[in-house]
Amino acid sequence: MTSKDKQPMRRNIRGGRPYFFADPATDKVLNMVVTLASEVWALRERVMAMEAIGAKRGAFKAGEVDAYEFPPALEQRMAGERQEFIANLFRVLGEQAEPKKTATAKKPAKKKKR
Amino acid sequence: MLELKHDLRLAKTRDEHARMNFVSGLRAYVLNDMATGMRASYDAEVEPAFRRKARRAPKDGPEVHQAIRSNEFFKFYSSLRVTAQDMVWQSVFPPLERQRESLKKKAKALATRRPGKLKLDAQLEVPRSVSALDVHLMPGNYDGEYESEDLAAGSLYDNGLAVFSFGLMGQNLDDIGESISRFIKARYPKFKPAEILDLGCTIGHNTGSWKDTYPSAHVRGIDVAAPCLRYAHARAQAQNRAVDFEQMNATALKYVDASFDVVFSSMFLHEVPRKDIAKVLAEAYRVLKPGGLMLHMELPPNAQLSPYDAFYLDWDSSYNNEPYYKPFRDLVPQRLCRQAGFKSTNYVQFVVPSIAWFGEQAVTRAVAAQGAVDSDKTGRLSDGLQWYCFGAWK
Repeated sequence: MTSKDKQPMRRNIRGGRPYFFADPATDKVLNMVVTLASEVWALRERVMAMEAIGAKRGAFKAGEVDAYEFPPALEQRMAGERQEFIANLFRVLGEQAEPKKTATAKKPAKKKKR
Repeated sequence: MLELKHDLRLAKTRDEHARMNFVSGLRAYVLNDMATGMRASYDAEVEPAFRRKARRAPKDGPEVHQAIRSNEFFKFYSSLRVTAQDMVWQSVFPPLERQRESLKKKAKALATRRPGKLKLDAQLEVPRSVSALDVHLMPGNYDGEYESEDLAAGSLYDNGLAVFSFGLMGQNLDDIGESISRFIKARYPKFKPAEILDLGCTIGHNTGSWKDTYPSAHVRGIDVAAPCLRYAHARAQAQNRAVDFEQMNATALKYVDASFDVVFSSMFLHEVPRKDIAKVLAEAYRVLKPGGLMLHMELPPNAQLSPYDAFYLDWDSSYNNEPYYKPFRDLVPQRLCRQAGFKSTNYVQFVVPSIAWFGEQAVTRAVAAQGAVDSDKTGRLSDGLQWYCFGAWK
């Protein structure tokens, strides 16, 4: 078996992918958000695996993580970090928070029936 | 996500597995929940707006498509569906790239295990409809080769389909072949096919079911893509199915007249340019024995669907690199069969419940109560799916 000619597999789509929003950047950002969500999910599965392994090995009891309450000092530190986390998440909106003119306010869109 | 059951399945890290689970779940959400939401949005906003303007309802799929394009729900549905489609293949690349060498070794070892044969034709010209396109947005398509004796494209398709199908195509991705071959056996108990051919079989996932249903039959699958056939051969060997695979174009079969009792295909004709579809059917007629059955599992024709459902299925033609999909679905199957030489009175058409979804009993029940195309379930990959097929007896 020769592998001298072996090339890495092509990973991009010939002809590109279709876009749907007026600005393709919206589709791209949506793609980034979903990719991020996929990584968040991978982390959750990993944490769940670690908890299950920990419980199996007797490092802690099943359900102990869910029942755990942070001590006050740690809770306080986390509360601060949580707010930083949230602020960071919406940083991009903050950049536009002080426009020179008032942005055109739209009426809230009608709620779609599901 | 579905775990492949055979020895060629890729080993995955915990994180790779989790990413695949996520993409499967995302697709299930988009194709069930969001599809329902989009329909509701269409009924509540898009259709009434069209009626106000045109003073009538949309008359066909393209009119629905035109009307819904600016709808926000449609944009999110479509953009997320394309993203999920892209992520299906992207989730397979890392483990596949890592295991290409070992996959080849495994395939080589499996090649000698069972009587199934593989016959490739290095001279065969792969048609432009395959060689120039990434169908289903799958990078490299069915025929992409990256080294000698390559079968990576087959592995990409098999492992990708396991993510893509979110359990709706059966435990071995063979639900179409299984449901339809079992249906035919129950519907025609006296019919005992000895020679069965599967056209455009790719990795043979629906070819092997015919061998399971008719164990004494000689079952063959053909395709133009060598990497898929190499993989199909190894996959069948791994599943202990004695099936032969040959590299051939369905528009020019190398078999003599009257060679087969069944000429089957699944999800194949909609990948074929219109001008070649007639050739495929004429070839099927030629190689069938008198009393043989031609049967194509396909998406239902547009003429048998409501305008909205026609639009819904045609989404793939516009946005999933399926340029021949809508042109095929605009054709009338009865006419295609007649033009290929079959008698009009010998035309058949079935709607077969998915065994994976409804269980084996449902197929037997369906034989007794043959229904028409259920507009929003037939051929649609979502909960409660049924498979459409048409063909004719020679």
